Parts: sequence; C-alpha cells; structure tokens
Amino acid sequence: MGKKQKVVLPPELPPDVPLEDVQVSDEDVQFVAANEAYAGFLSNMDTRNITKHVTRVADLKEDALEAYYASRRRRKSSENEKENMIEVAHKDALPVKTPDGQLYYKTTPKLQPKPEGENDKANEDDWTVKSVVKLTKAEKRAKNKKARKEAKKQVKDGAEVEQDLQTSQADVLDEVKKDLSAEEIIEKKKYKLAELGTTLLADPERNIKSLREMLDISKDGNQEVVTLALKSLLAVFRDIIPGYRIRLPTEKEMEMKVSKIIKKMRLFESTLLSSYKSYIQKLTALEDQSVYKRVAVRCLCTLLEAAPHFNFRQDLVAAVVRNLSSQDDVLRKSCCAALKYIFTNEAKHGGEATLEAVQLIANLVKSHNCQLHPDSIEVLMSLVFDEDLGKSEKADQDKRGKKFKKGKNNEEKNKLTNNERKRSRQESVSKTREEVEVDFRSASLGKDAAESRRIQSDTLSAVFQIFFRVLRHTLQSSSLQGASESHPLLAPSLKGIGKFSHLIDLDFMADLMNYLGKLAGGGVNSSDSENSAKRLTVTERLQCCIVAFKVMKSNLDALNIDLRDFYVDLYNLILDYRPGRDQGEVLAEALKIMLCDERQHDMQRAAAFIKRLATFSLCFGSAESMAALVTLRHLLQKNLKCRNLLENDIGGGSVSGAIAKYQPYASDPHISGALASVLWELNLLAKHYHPAVSTISLNISTMSAADNPVSYSMLSPQQAFAELSLEQELSKGTNNSSISSGKKKKSGIPATFQVNTDMVDEIDESEVRKKLSEHFVVLRDISENEKLRAELEFTSWSLQLYDQYKKHKKRKSKAT
Amino acid sequence: MRPLDEQETTQVFEKLFKYVGNNLKNIVENPSHDASSSRYVFRLQKNRVYYVSESLVKRATNIKRHNLVSLGTQLGKFTKSGKFHLTIQCLGLIAANAKHKVWLKPTSEMSFLYGNHVLKGGLGRITENIKENDGVVVFSMSDVPLGFGVAAKSTADCRKMDPNGNVVLHQSDIGEYLRMEDDL
Repeated sequence: MGKKQKVVLPPELPPDVPLEDVQVSDEDVQFVAANEAYAGFLSNMDTRNITKHVTRVADLKEDALEAYYASRRRRKSSENEKENMIEVAHKDALPVKTPDGQLYYKTTPKLQPKPEGENDKANEDDWTVKSVVKLTKAEKRAKNKKARKEAKKQVKDGAEVEQDLQTSQADVLDEVKKDLSAEEIIEKKKYKLAELGTTLLADPERNIKSLREMLDISKDGNQEVVTLALKSLLAVFRDIIPGYRIRLPTEKEMEMKVSKIIKKMRLFESTLLSSYKSYIQKLTALEDQSVYKRVAVRCLCTLLEAAPHFNFRQDLVAAVVRNLSSQDDVLRKSCCAALKYIFTNEAKHGGEATLEAVQLIANLVKSHNCQLHPDSIEVLMSLVFDEDLGKSEKADQDKRGKKFKKGKNNEEKNKLTNNERKRSRQESVSKTREEVEVDFRSASLGKDAAESRRIQSDTLSAVFQIFFRVLRHTLQSSSLQGASESHPLLAPSLKGIGKFSHLIDLDFMADLMNYLGKLAGGGVNSSDSENSAKRLTVTERLQCCIVAFKVMKSNLDALNIDLRDFYVDLYNLILDYRPGRDQGEVLAEALKIMLCDERQHDMQRAAAFIKRLATFSLCFGSAESMAALVTLRHLLQKNLKCRNLLENDIGGGSVSGAIAKYQPYASDPHISGALASVLWELNLLAKHYHPAVSTISLNISTMSAADNPVSYSMLSPQQAFAELSLEQELSKGTNNSSISSGKKKKSGIPATFQVNTDMVDEIDESEVRKKLSEHFVVLRDISENEKLRAELEFTSWSLQLYDQYKKHKKRKSKAT
Repeated sequence: MRPLDEQETTQVFEKLFKYVGNNLKNIVENPSHDASSSRYVFRLQKNRVYYVSESLVKRATNIKRHNLVSLGTQLGKFTKSGKFHLTIQCLGLIAANAKHKVWLKPTSEMSFLYGNHVLKGGLGRITENIKENDGVVVFSMSDVPLGFGVAAKSTADCRKMDPNGNVVLHQSDIGEYLRMEDDL
C-alpha cells in the first residue's frame, strides 16, 4: 500500500541532509511506537530500492520532473552554502582580472571544499604528484628552456638596473618597479603555462578546459610568452590527440539521450576539436608575421607529423606546402622533413595526406610558373609506391569479373532446378549476406585494397603532372626568344622521372622520350650563336640523356631500342663540357650509363666515341680524363674491330667503311669516319703528369687486336672520377695513394675504393680547417697586396704628373 | 649517259631521303678520292641511275653509249611506268648514312636473306623514333648491312605487337646477288 501511494504521489526525494541533521518530531516517534504494525515496515524498508524505483517511474514525465528536481536541488544546495559558509571554488572557475591587467587564478588543490570529501582531496594530490613525476620529454625541454631564459632575463635585468642607477634616481625607481611588475607577470604566465600543461597531460579528459586558458595566454602581447605558449600547446596537443578522427555529433544525435560517460566524452572531444582549430588558426595567422614565423611553421610541421590522421589535416598540409619553397633555409628544411615523414609513414593516414600534399605541391608549381626552390620537388623523391601499381589492376579486375560470372552461373543453375519458394528464400539469404558484407566493409578498419590503389594512382598522376609541367615549361621558355630563365626545378624533376618512370603507362613513353630528346638536343639545330646562351646548361642536357636511358632500361627492356639521337647529343656535349662550370659527376654517370652499360654499339659510333674521348682526355683535368679513359678502355674491350685504332696506320683499311677520312668536326658520330684515324692521343697521355692516367693509357695502348676481352676491370667511370676528384681535393698524400691505386687497377683488383675511403677517414676535420684557413689567409694577402700595389702605382703616377707639370711651368717661365 | 633532269632528280632524292634523312647532303657533297676538285654525281644510263665520281664520268665518255654496261655505283632504276626503285647495289651508300636502322637476331638473318619480311620475333634492336613507312636499313648484329625495307609499324607500336607481326617490309637484300644475278 505504502509503496503504491508513493508511486502515485509526486515523490519527495529523501532529503540529502545527513541522518544526524534530520530532526524527528516527538509526535512522529510516538506514532511509530504506538502503531508498530503499521509503521514497522519503515524500519526495515530498503531505501535504495525505493529511490531507484521512483526515479525509474519519474522517467515517464521526465522533462517537468527533472526540471523540478533540478531546481529543488539547486535551492537546497544554495541554502547549504549559506548555512555552511564554505567557499566552493571549482578548479575550472574563470580567472579574475584586476584593473591593472593581472590575472588571478584560484589554484585547485588548496581551495578544494571539504564537502567533496577526503577521498577527492587525496586523489587530487595523487594527480599532482604523478604529474610532477610524469613530465614528458617535451615538457621537460620546455621547462629547461624556460629556466634558462629566466636566468638570462635576470642577468639582463641586473645589468639594466645597474645602468639605470647612474641616471636620475626617481626614474630608476619607477622603471625598476615597472620592469619588475612586467617581469612578474611574465613569470606568472610561464608558471601558469607549465602548470596547465602538466595538469592537462596528467588527466586530459578532466582538465580539457584548461586548453582554452592556454590559448588565451598565447594571445599575449609579449613575444616570449607567445612563443612559449605555442610550444607548450604543441607538446600538449601532440600527447592528447586521440588516435582517431573526431566526428562531431549531429543534431539528431545530440537530441538522443546518452549516458554520462558518453556525454563527458563528447564534451572532451568537442572542446579538444574547437581549441585545436583555434590553435591552428592562430598558427596560420602568426605564420605571416616575421617574428613568429619560424615558431609557427615548426609547430605546424610537428603537428602534421604527429597527427596526420586528425581533423583539420588539410589546413596543416596547406600551410606546410605553402612554406615549402620559402627563402629561409631553416623553414624549408623543416617543411621538407615533415612532408618526407608523411610520405614515408603512410600507415597513420592511409595515403590521403600524401595525396593532398602532392596535389597542393602541383598547384604550387603551377601558380609559381615553375620558379621554385628545387627542394620543393626533391621531396617527392621520398614517395613510395607499390611496385605492382600499374600492372595488376587489370588482372585483378579480370579475376573479379570471372569470379562474379562463376557465381552467377551457379546461382542460375540452382534457380533453374529449384522451385519458387526455395528461390525466394535463397534470394533473401543472399540479400542479407550482401548487407552484412557491406556493413562489415564499412566497419572494418583496414582500407580497401582498391581504395588505397586509387589513392596511389591519384598521387602518381599528380606527381607526373608536376614533372611534365616542368619539362614543358623548360621547353617553352628555352624556345622562346628573349627571356632566358634558369630552370631550378628541371634537375630534381628529371631525377624523379628517372625514379618513377617504371610506373607510368607505355603510351606516355613516346611523348616523354620526345620531350627528353628535344631538351637534350637543346636547340642544336639552330646554329645561331645568340641562341646558344638560352640553351640549357651542359649538365642539364647530360641529365636529360641519362634519364632517357634510365627510362628505356626500366621500361622497354623487352624491345632493344637504339637511342641514336641521344648518342649524337652526347657526342657533341663532350666537347661543350667545361670542368669548372659543369658537374663532372654527371658526365661520368652519362659515360657509364650510355657507353659502358649498353650491350652493343655500332662499330662506327663506338670508334667515334673512342676517338672523341681520347681527344677530350687530353684537354681536361686528371679526374675527367680518368673517367674518359676508363670508358675508352671499356669500349675497346667490347668492340674488337675498333682496336684497329691502336694500329699505326692511317686509313683504317677495309673496316673504315665509306668514309675514308676522319672528320673531327662532324656532329654525327656515325659519319665522322673515326675508324680511319689513329689514337695518337694515348701516346701523349702516357706522359701525363698524373701517374694513374699515364698508367691506364699505357695499359690501353698495349692492348692489341689479338687480345681477348677477358681482362675486364670492374672500375666504372663514376668511381674513377670520384677517386681522382677526391684526391685533388686532398692535397696531402696524393702521390702515394694514386700510385697504389694505379697499380691495383693494373692488376684488376676492384679494391681501390677502400684505400681511398680509409684515407678520407684518417684526415680529420681540424686539419682541413687549418688548411682552409691558411688558404684563405693567403688569398686575403694576395688581395691586400694588389690593393697596395694599385695605391702605389696611383701615387707614383700622380707624382710623375706633378713633375711633368713643374717642368712644363719652368719651361713656360723660361720662355717668358 | 646523261645527267638527270629535274623531275628525275626530285624522284631520286625523295627516295634517298626516306632512308638517309638529312644525311643526303653528305651523299651529294661527298668529295671523291682522286682529285680534290671533283665530286660524285648522278648519271642516267639505260634507265639506271649511277653514282659516279666526276673524273670517272669524263673517262667514260670514251665508250659508246650502247657498249657501256655499268659505271660507278648503281643506285636504282626507273621502271617502265616511270617510278624510281632503289636496287641492292646502293646498300653500301645508304647503310653508311642510314637514319633508321634495324638489327636482326642471327637466327632470323637467313629468313630475311631469302626475301622474307622482318618479324618482330627476329628483331634484335631497333632505332628510336621510326615512323610508319619510313625507310629502314637492316643490319646483322655484327653491323653488316643485309638489306633495306619499309617500316610497317612505328617504334612505339612495335612494343605492343605480337611476335609474328611484320616490323619491316622487305624491299631488297644482299641475297639478290645470288637469286637475281641476271637482272642486276
């Protein structure tokens, strides 16, 4: 009965006041004592059950009741407060701002109100202890930095104070006060930051609100404080950002009733998201100010590295790409590093960030008309693609199609044999299965293979869009009259084409080769001397040739294609080469790839190259000529007939073909008639000052036509070049090492490299530095000498003039 | 024996140009061995075009026209319908200046020398940038010229072909020296 009554009546919750406070009137006591039969149940009543029941029932008219309850409780609590006169200070309470602009925060643990209980207090203490212990590395670093900065500041302050003392005293006092107060504020803010950061890291879910405070601090006017705030925010975000992407609940979802935990979670997520957003906006805004630029960009880069999966990734990527070609080396380096990290670690974001970044870079290249720092394309080199990206797509599709067909056939057969009811049941089963499959796919964490492939192919197309744009731009600008620009992006994009060319379709290949051919030719057809200034440099053209050969080798190995035009270009480029201006490494690489690696050659062409290389090695430094001679030996070993060049009779006999006379000025190796000439250059080279060169040329000239091509040496022209150019740089001990390497080459042991690397190791930095400083001292002396000499000449000349003038005057006076 | 008239010259040069491209000027301006002043010239004799040094032409005037069988290097002949065909004797000349080349694998050399087309399977190496209907000179792998023909496919298309497709259509080969001894 009693229970029922309670249900019907608007239930009064049992008062929250502790039992001791309840004042039971005498009447009541008497009543209970008298009618034990009635009121006995009161003593053994399960209060908890009842309250539960009541609340459950109350759900029926939830809104009104809830409101009622809420208001009642509030009233009660306020009354409580008044009675107890206890200050309740929430740890999240807003700071108080005094008129002079100082912020006062109420620190949490000290003002914790009693009624929350001892437990909480203990907990609170625990956190603080833990947080002190559990400082993250970043936090520690920040702290250290702060400490150092403070120390510096104090020293400075001291100095200032001392200086000021010498001026008028009143001013000094004022200033010192002001300084001190400002200092104090800054100090306070720093401590505040550290405190907030540690509490956040200790329990992000509960203290998420303090993110806002930190953001507020970052809006401070003081540069130091802002920098520190940005940095500590970065450290905090890096640690508390969850491993998933936050999706804010829709309105419908907001309306739905959720449990306490979920509500808390939502609050946490939404606060995190909003403050993250404002942080990024802040960073992007600060990025334009030169003072904060470095800090902001570094923060952006680190954020991108740490949370490429999180929301607002687009903003981050956009900001980083924007700074990719900045003038500042530090900024550019950090941006490049961040992007490389993104490119190589795709597990976190599944390649989407890569795609975005590459597309943004493509846009950047487009909008800047290919005038960017080479680093911005160099980044693309670290992209990773699946090897079977291009090939297996079709095969997969075929397979899938086949499977599908098979399944269909089976089904149809079944359908034909079974009656209608069974069929309908089967349909429903298959339908549910499909649904389940779809659900599973959407729920499964791993990305679909097809999806990742799509992303990769999109990325690839963006990358090649960049490369082709650069190539086309170079071609257009070089063919244009008048404007001669440099092509900073050409070299890295050529490298990129060489690296990724095996992934593109064969249909593009013809166009690509066409472009490369034109670039490598560099306007040979137009014989104007005026036009030659606008050509690409020799290095760039050599690179074009190299890339063409790489592309050929990686893609079109099935059909052996002879790249005749590129050989013609190389033949002419060898003459254009200048040791100081052009990169010898590139030339050596070209010689290696085009002449040494190729399986067969025309006899005429090989002979022409042999002759030209011999001529070339006469004119240039020992490193270049060494590379050339190594190539030459290689060619001679491969082409037996070309050894007629070593014989001492002009005309070449029957092998020389239609062209009976060597034409050194011919631009085409095929018609130069080199077989009719003699390699007299080797004789001169045998007397070369460099022992290695003289050894190898002697070695070559003793190679006779009867020799077998067995005595292969493994040395490539690149290695030879690197060796000798290293030796040139290290003036010390050149003779010994080169002699030893020469000997080794003769005996055909490919261990020459080791000797040299050992030598490099031995020479320490200090020695090099000493050498360099000596060198520069000498240089400075020379320039000083020149200056003095010029002065001397000038004075002597003026003296002479003066003498002449005197004589002239005397003569005049005599005449008169 | 007479020099070519204008129409014949264009016919001959167009045909040669298909094989040697811009190197045609090397053929025309080629200085002769004997005298420093004399050059090589084109002469027509009994419908056949010869490539002769000037000094030899002067000496050949001593022989009656119907007695003169051949002189210098034969390039080709005009057919009854007025077209110009290259013959195998010109191979040395165009091989030295060839623009487009094809190298045959040793196994397919014989087949070509019997007058068959060059299949893709027999292809050892091929120059880049050949277009359809370009003139192509055929070499063995050891750089001995074997003959010449017309490209059936461009280099790019060759990649996609099956191994039994024709790459070069046969026109002439050095086997003709044996097979058609009487006609030459």
